[in-house]
Formats: sequence, structure tokens, C-alpha cells
Amino acid sequence: MAPERKTLIGKVFPAVRYVIAEEDIRIYLPVAGEAHPAFLSDEGARAVGYDRRVIPPSFAPYIAVLGLLRAFDWAKDFYLDYKTGTAMFGEQELEYCRPLYVGEALTIQGAVADVYEKQGKRPFDVVQVRFTATDERGELAFRGVQSYILFK
Amino acid sequence: MDGRPKAYFEDVYEGMALPPATYGPMDRYAYIPIAIILRDTNPLHLDRVYARERGLPDVVQQGPLNETYLYRFLTDWLHRPWDLRRTKVRFVANVFPADVLTCRGTVVRKYYEGGEPRLDCQVWQENQKGEKILVGEATFTLPMRG
Repeated sequence: MAPERKTLIGKVFPAVRYVIAEEDIRIYLPVAGEAHPAFLSDEGARAVGYDRRVIPPSFAPYIAVLGLLRAFDWAKDFYLDYKTGTAMFGEQELEYCRPLYVGEALTIQGAVADVYEKQGKRPFDVVQVRFTATDERGELAFRGVQSYILFK
Repeated sequence: MDGRPKAYFEDVYEGMALPPATYGPMDRYAYIPIAIILRDTNPLHLDRVYARERGLPDVVQQGPLNETYLYRFLTDWLHRPWDLRRTKVRFVANVFPADVLTCRGTVVRKYYEGGEPRLDCQVWQENQKGEKILVGEATFTLPMRG
């Protein structure tokens, strides 16, 4: 039997470094239909008051997903048994402190803020991970809460 | 960046509907580059036989791509994309290839925070059948006239 997931509350995951890679943004922009000049060049960004080329805000959820998925292991950290359990994303809350820039490196640090059981068609646990994304100067770029739904 | 007229803070009132935006039809070929970006090659998003064997009508669009359109609904309309301050999104239902997504919102609170004009909105995304896909909240700033 899996250990009680409530014991996960307070668990701190290792910090993960994520670089907003030019390659990823080049792939993303046409697929997402993101065409604002500020996403395409430094000149386009400066024209609307940014220091340099920014990413679309719509890419931030990808950073959160990618960063956190590299920080924990579903089986080891969340006691998910792939033979009997399934997992999916629940609620995601993101709060932005400033624009995010192409090429910048972020450090994503998460910890389990809460775990609670809910009853749908079948019972499931909600694991809530609170995280920060800080830049190379150690300043907060954005923060958030990501919930994961783990069916029993 | 779309054809919806931009608004200023003074124009907006609590209870006002944001101008909606429609995206699609969704294209399964978009799921391959999204899988590359997410480093996630789960066959549920790429292999329709695998998806059908699990009782689904087709492959499932990746959740972050659903969010992309809800974000665009907001940031394409804002004066500057990073005028967005906060989002809170709950995933309610799956999106499949050929779905058409419409995003809507309503202003629920108009206020200033640290001197910045801010708006809190309820936002949601629905498919062509009117089924909710994403529901949530968004906070952003709009410039003042003059």
C-alpha cells in the first residue's frame, strides 16, 4: 500500500535550472500563433518599452510544467504506481513579477504546500506544489501553485 | 495582436464582458512541436489508435496548448503582452483535433494596486459545443487615457 500522501506536505524538491531556449521559442511562436513584434526581435520589444526580446506570457505555463516535472519523480516522490494509478494536471496559478526574456536562465524551486483527498467518480488526491522562479540575480521573476491530481 | 479594439482603464466597468476571441480548428500536427517543447511524447497526444483503445475519440491536445489560446485571448487584446499580472486556470475537459475554441471573460473587480490600475476577470474557454474547457481568473493592467 502506498504511504499516506499527506506526509508529503512540506517536502522541498531540488531546485531546477531552466533556460528559456531560443530553439524552444522558435518552435513555439508559429505553432501558438504568437506574432507580437516584441516576441520577434529586440527592436520590436524596445518599441513597446521592454529592454529586449520577451517571450509570450503564454509560454510561462510551459516553463512551470517543464521545470516542475524535472524536479520530482511521480513514483518516488508522489507514490504513484503506474500499474494502478494515473495522474493529470489540476489547477495552475501563476503570478508575474516582470516580463520574461528569451535566453534567460531561471531557477525553479518547489515544495508541497498541501495534499487533500477528493471524491469524483473515483477518489483522488490533490497534491499542491507552490514554487518560485528566480533569475540569475536571485530576484523573483514569477511564482505559482501547480496542482496535480493523482487517482487512486 | 488581433482586430479587437483596445480598451483603456476608464472604459472598463465591473460586469463588462471582454471582447471574445475564437481560435481553430485545432490541428493535430501542432501536437508534435508541443511534445518536443514539453519533452513529453505521451502517445495519448500523438497516437490516435492508442487514444481510441482507451475510449477517447481521438488524441488529446496538450493542456498547455489549451492555455496558450486563453492567454492569447488576453494578451493579444492588452496594449502590451506583459500587462498580464496573474492567471489561475482549472482544466475541466479535453480538447481534440478539429475543435474550435472560444475564449470569454467578464470584469469582476476594478481597482488600483500600488498605484497601478488593475482589473480582475473571470475567464473561460469553451469548445464549439459550448462545453467548458478551461475556467479561471486573470488579473491585468490597462493604461489610462492621456
